[in-house]
Amino acid sequence: MNSPLDNKRYAGPSLRAERVTKSFVTGRVRTSVLHEVSLELHAGELTLISGPSGCGKSTLLAILSGLQKVDSGEVFALGDKLDDLGQRELERFRLAHTGFVFQGFNLFPALTALEQVELPLHYLGLPSREVRERALRSLDEVGVAHRASLRPTELSGGEKQRVAVARAMAKEPELLFADEPTSALDAANGQMVIDLLHRIARTHGTTVLCVSHDPRLLGHADRVLAMEDGRILSDQRHTPELAPGRSNQEISSL
Amino acid sequence: MVPLARKTLIYEWRRFLPAILAVGFAGLLQVLQAALVLGIFSSASVYITGSTADIWVGYPGTQSVDQGRSLDPNVEMHMRMDPHVTQVEPFIWLDGDWRGDRTTGGVSVYVSGIDPRPEGLMFARVLDKDMRARLEEPDAVVVDRADLEKLGVGVGKQAAINGHTVRIVGVSSGLRALGGVNVVTSLETARRLNPDPQDAGRPTYLVAKLDANADTKSVAARLRHATGFGPYDVWAARDFARRTVLYWMLDTGAGAGVLFLAGIVFLVGAVITSQTLVAAVAGSVREYATLNALGVGLPALRRVVLEQAFWVGALGLFGASFVGALLMAIARSRDVPVYLSIPVTLICALLVMALAAVSGLAAMRSLRRADPATLLR
Repeated sequence: MNSPLDNKRYAGPSLRAERVTKSFVTGRVRTSVLHEVSLELHAGELTLISGPSGCGKSTLLAILSGLQKVDSGEVFALGDKLDDLGQRELERFRLAHTGFVFQGFNLFPALTALEQVELPLHYLGLPSREVRERALRSLDEVGVAHRASLRPTELSGGEKQRVAVARAMAKEPELLFADEPTSALDAANGQMVIDLLHRIARTHGTTVLCVSHDPRLLGHADRVLAMEDGRILSDQRHTPELAPGRSNQEISSL
Repeated sequence: MVPLARKTLIYEWRRFLPAILAVGFAGLLQVLQAALVLGIFSSASVYITGSTADIWVGYPGTQSVDQGRSLDPNVEMHMRMDPHVTQVEPFIWLDGDWRGDRTTGGVSVYVSGIDPRPEGLMFARVLDKDMRARLEEPDAVVVDRADLEKLGVGVGKQAAINGHTVRIVGVSSGLRALGGVNVVTSLETARRLNPDPQDAGRPTYLVAKLDANADTKSVAARLRHATGFGPYDVWAARDFARRTVLYWMLDTGAGAGVLFLAGIVFLVGAVITSQTLVAAVAGSVREYATLNALGVGLPALRRVVLEQAFWVGALGLFGASFVGALLMAIARSRDVPVYLSIPVTLICALLVMALAAVSGLAAMRSLRRADPATLLR
């Protein structure tokens, strides 16, 4: 695993957006979604973007993660200007540096939890033994190692999302993006997943960007950006309520 | 590597079953149609394929076995001089007008005059020794069991060919002709039935058996070049049979019909298979999009879809082979003419896999919807 220090090779912020604008055209109507948004995100922090639906937070996540292009402005991820990269290069960048967790868990119904996590690792070109080791370690870290041989239909919602988190972090990415990761989960599971994301930021020095309108998550982030109508209204930092000593056993018992 | 394509195919087989069935039925249609057409048209060459001769000698340019003209009988001497030729016999082929009982009127028949001795080459695969012995009798004829009704006679009854009385001494199977009725008789009787006095006694073909280690094509080529015997040509039996079948297929337009139908089957099969495969792939599009978000490139995802198409094709092919073999066996037991050669079977198999590949390429297009940005809603 990378130590937080490894990520300090990018002396500046790990994610930086400058005067980013984005609009969508539906028929003849042009809807502006982001208005000159600028922000900087840092390694080892869990940043939460919150706001009502339609405020542009998911679009901002898509742009910061290189899934969508900006209309104007610039995005730098780990020092690379994302707009300069072609589709193939973006895929390669994402493979090497980013992890994703979505609202729907998007697990392959045919694969076991272990295989879900192993699948993207194979594309990194790692030897089979290391793939297996990393996948098991990841599943262990999110507390579902004991469910490794089960398929999604045999897992609870919380377990599925934890497998999805394990799949995202097994690649040991510097950037981890989560889109509404808790909205399909009950309170206990939702809290556990956000704790997990926070712990990943702390222990692996990962830049975690989470988008959610779930007010329960506000207290768990290092930094909260409130968005409305395509603009960032406030930027607050605080110490989240993470129980630092919470063990895997406690998490898996939730 | 996690075998995503195969695991998904097995776990979600219900989603892929329609595609497998579509490929399988398209393959089955393709192969049965080919078998029927080949079966029907190969009966045009039953004279060649029902005999054990290696070499056929006939009038130059003969396009089909039923279009032979009489030969100089002395060619036989020339053939016997070749060290590889072990046996030569004449074959007389002529048109006849059959009169059975009053109910059937005149029936156009093809008379085959053969050497009825037990070691004779002509129709050695169709007529057993007992049947051949019966043909030694003057004016004795043998017809196919299935033609009896058409001829309006029964075994032991009399009829007339070209005004000469003949007697049906037995029936056989595998003698059915294309476009007429085959009547087999001895060379002696055939000579008497020939209404053209100029042709009388002259063979339409000479057929020869070669020794086991002879190269048929080179012997045929060697025998071809001799002057002083009048016009004749020499062919390997297999080539002559193929030429006869092709002549009938192309002459009747059936060949073009077969190709046309094969094209239709391919098109319909491809449309249905690709649609079902597209639906099966679309069911996983969110998962594919997630993999793409994690950096797994589109080419790698396309490979997964193509691999699934390959397995769909292979499973469809397996099912079609099994059911096809069963249906062929049933058809044979009911005297339905079906025939498949290895090359034709391979071509059909290849078409099935091509069908699956085309459908896979079509299904790959639905991966375009696997844009991870659409997951962020």
